[in-house]
Amino acid sequence: MITLLGKAISRSARCLWALEEVGVQYEHKPLDYATGDAKTPEFTAINPGAKIPALIDGDVAMFESLAINLYLAQTYGKGALWPDDAAGQAQCLQWTLFSVTEAEPPGSTRLVQFIFKSKEERSQEVIDAAAERSKAPLNTLETTLQSQSYLAGDSFTVADLNVACSVEYFVRTNFDLSPWPKVKDWIARCMDRPAFQAMTAIKAKEAA
Amino acid sequence: MIKIYGSFVSRATRNLWMLEELGLEYEHVSLDWAKQENRSAAYLKINPAGKVPTLEDGDATLSESLGINLYLVQKYGQGGLWPDDDAGRALCVQWSFWAAAELEPLAYGRIREFLFKKEPDRDQALIANMAERTGPLLDLMTLALDEHAYLSGETFTVADLNAACVMEYLDRSDFDLSGWPKVAAWYTNTYGRPANQKIQDQRAPIAADMMKRLQG
Ligand SMILES: N[C@@H](CCC(=O)N[C@@H](CS)C(=O)NCC(=O)O)C(=O)O
Ligand SMILES: N[C@@H](CCC(=O)N[C@@H](CS)C(=O)NCC(=O)O)C(=O)O
Repeated sequence: MITLLGKAISRSARCLWALEEVGVQYEHKPLDYATGDAKTPEFTAINPGAKIPALIDGDVAMFESLAINLYLAQTYGKGALWPDDAAGQAQCLQWTLFSVTEAEPPGSTRLVQFIFKSKEERSQEVIDAAAERSKAPLNTLETTLQSQSYLAGDSFTVADLNVACSVEYFVRTNFDLSPWPKVKDWIARCMDRPAFQAMTAIKAKEAA
Repeated sequence: MIKIYGSFVSRATRNLWMLEELGLEYEHVSLDWAKQENRSAAYLKINPAGKVPTLEDGDATLSESLGINLYLVQKYGQGGLWPDDDAGRALCVQWSFWAAAELEPLAYGRIREFLFKKEPDRDQALIANMAERTGPLLDLMTLALDEHAYLSGETFTVADLNAACVMEYLDRSDFDLSGWPKVAAWYTNTYGRPANQKIQDQRAPIAADMMKRLQG
């Protein structure tokens, strides 16, 4: 049995999305990092850093949200989320790293500023710097999406899923994506997917 | 033939080390970023973002240094730097992403201050703040190394190589690792592997020139 540890309103949502995409059965334990759930021996045996999410699948126990998604794609998504050809697989690895190194830093800065801070605590300087830093990764995505409908080719793969996990932060914080029309169209398609909607429903239930 | 683009003073050394570990034949195309060679029309066709490194291997073309290492190891390192078991593989991917997501922002943020600024201009408050946030990451590595000799188990894997490539920034900026003796020993042992030594020996004179230019 696969178990995902971590409440949905966190980076665990990324893995819930991937689990819904591959369509395997799983158990979801919504541990909260803020209440000490992630400091229990059960959890720190997997991630002594006490950050969510983490995943258990038989012998496998791991953390790092996007690494979990690669594991799920490689194990349960062959021929779909994880393409069959070496060129496509290479693109999936590239884009997943790109998500972490290039797209997530400005995206998560926005999320912190707009969602976790009050209006008074917000820093325009930080927001402007993040906007500046967003341009290069968005340009890179736009260039790629000019010649193909998805990042690793013409179908949706874990490359799209993992990059969308970061670009979604821009959407949620109402960043104006109109200078990047291909990106705007692509992220809308990603967020329209039934698996993304299923993940959104889990978050909504948790918030209620 | 495999082609790797990027100079010895770039993240391409991460991939050169991996290529040497795997004993692969490859062509090294050194692009000089000081001369904007990574912005030539020919290179932008291979990598529109103009960054290095990029790898070409048959039909596959990819950028992102740590992703290139995962690609190479999955294709050419089975049973060696890429373990045979799912649990070990999961940890290899985990540590690679941990290195990129958690360690690199702090380690790179630190070395930037040391490389691109002269001593009096360095932001000491930033350096201290980043050092403080690095501590818990080294604690986490220590816990893994308490369990086994290397990050993903008893043998050296891509988990160690990818993490050590990023740790390198701490080492080059004289971060004091003495509070984390297991990490320090692991780093010396990992980073000092003959495959990497071969790359670092070639890098040394080029890096010395670059430092003269940057630090005067
Ligand atoms: N790079 C990690 C980051 C994990 C992370 O920071 N998780 C947050 C929740 S979204 C957390 O658990 N924070 C608790 C803490 O930092 O103590 C990943 O992508 O999984
Ligand atoms: N996350 C990327 C970063 C690549 C990167 O920033 N490379 C630098 C050299 S190490 C570069 O090409 N800079 C030139 C530029 O941005 O124009 C990786 O790990 O490969």
